[in-house]
Amino acid sequence: MCKDMSPVEAAIQFHGHICPGLLMGVRVAEFALNKLGVGPDVNEELVAVVETDSCGVDAIQAILGCTFGKGNLIFKDYGKNVYTIASRENGQAIRIAQKFRSSHTPESQRYRELVRKGSLTEAEAAEKEELIGLLFEQLMSTPFEELFDWKEIDFEFPPKARMHATVQCVLCGEGVTDIKATETAQGPVCPGCLAENGGR
Amino acid sequence: MCESNVYLNRAGREELLMERVDRIIPAEDGSIFLESVFGERRVVKARIVEMELVRHRIVLEETPEAMVAERIQEIWLEPATDHGHFHEGEEVILRVFKGYNMKPGDGFSRDGLEAFAVAEGVKRAVPVQERQGSLEINLGQEADGLLQVYVRQQGEHELYGKVVLEIGHHHHHGLQPLGLPLEIVPAGYSHARLGENYEFQVLAAGEPVAGLEVKATYAGTHHRDYPHRLRTDDNGRARIFLTARGNYLFSVTHKNITSTFTLVKSY
Repeated sequence: MCKDMSPVEAAIQFHGHICPGLLMGVRVAEFALNKLGVGPDVNEELVAVVETDSCGVDAIQAILGCTFGKGNLIFKDYGKNVYTIASRENGQAIRIAQKFRSSHTPESQRYRELVRKGSLTEAEAAEKEELIGLLFEQLMSTPFEELFDWKEIDFEFPPKARMHATVQCVLCGEGVTDIKATETAQGPVCPGCLAENGGR
Repeated sequence: MCESNVYLNRAGREELLMERVDRIIPAEDGSIFLESVFGERRVVKARIVEMELVRHRIVLEETPEAMVAERIQEIWLEPATDHGHFHEGEEVILRVFKGYNMKPGDGFSRDGLEAFAVAEGVKRAVPVQERQGSLEINLGQEADGLLQVYVRQQGEHELYGKVVLEIGHHHHHGLQPLGLPLEIVPAGYSHARLGENYEFQVLAAGEPVAGLEVKATYAGTHHRDYPHRLRTDDNGRARIFLTARGNYLFSVTHKNITSTFTLVKSY
């Protein structure tokens, strides 16, 4: 690959397939870049706090560059399609919340039915493909404010990710980040071994 | 207007089978031959159940046997690259397919098949070779720039397939038509991206064709028939919002010619 992918292509490449949830994440990511007046993250210039672990988060990672590995993707397990995107460069932050049932249409309902069904006939697979096309156009062309509420907020930036020392677990012999290890009388124990030994 | 739209009643649901049909011939084997004013032809296993001539509407009912759709075969080209373009010094290879809806059929004969490459207005014939059961065009190393390649297969129904190849990284603005008898020409930019509109123009002998049906499909579709059917406007233009990954194929049929254009996504 030697050309920049469009944001939506990058998101699909990262996620593996097209689905309505991912496209909602694409809308959030593109809106955030535009509203904050920034480009994708390179080295933790951006921070994303996501209150869901659904498909849309992959668009946040692929388009904004806020990733689990870089430590600037903070997950709050609230089960809400709410995203807070903040820029360290200009100190601004916005909170974007999907409106309740804003993406509910007869097409999206039918699409969900087919997804839940799992194994599809040839005709149903074709129908699902057609629905994806329809939803794609709907979700990408609906005005942002019809899908989401958003506001600027005060945001307390978390410290940038830090490098930690690795110590050896005395039980399994594997390396573990020192702040995750529990110091015991025998030496450091990793969380996995600690759990297997009843937290002792 | 003396043509009719033909609908197929399938399990109680009417589906538009073919528009502006001007020839219907029932056969002894229970099939019906249909031909439209656009030159599209199909054979279906069905019987006529209703003819509303005032409303130009004919309804067929599918017979119990599986539907037979002897559709016009198309030829199309696909570059043998995973990211849609080539680089200078690379071997430029294209695959030639014959089938329908981007699904290759069996037994592609090379009879009457010719291929041409056009760069900066200069056309040259290029060989089509058989390789591991499929047909391909190997152009060898090409100079940096844009190259239009087309194939033609002559017969009772003439077939064309065209593609724009990018050697290096180029903008495709202002691509010139090749002057084919029936040709799909990108309106502004020959390759486009997912989530964007893509516009093109249909020309017959260099003149825009208004009101023509353009079928559009994409790689890996689950649809048995083309998932999109567009119609050209007064200037022969039509457009589509691209919602599928991979390459798209556009196909038009007009006066015994079927011509395709492969839209290659380039990364």
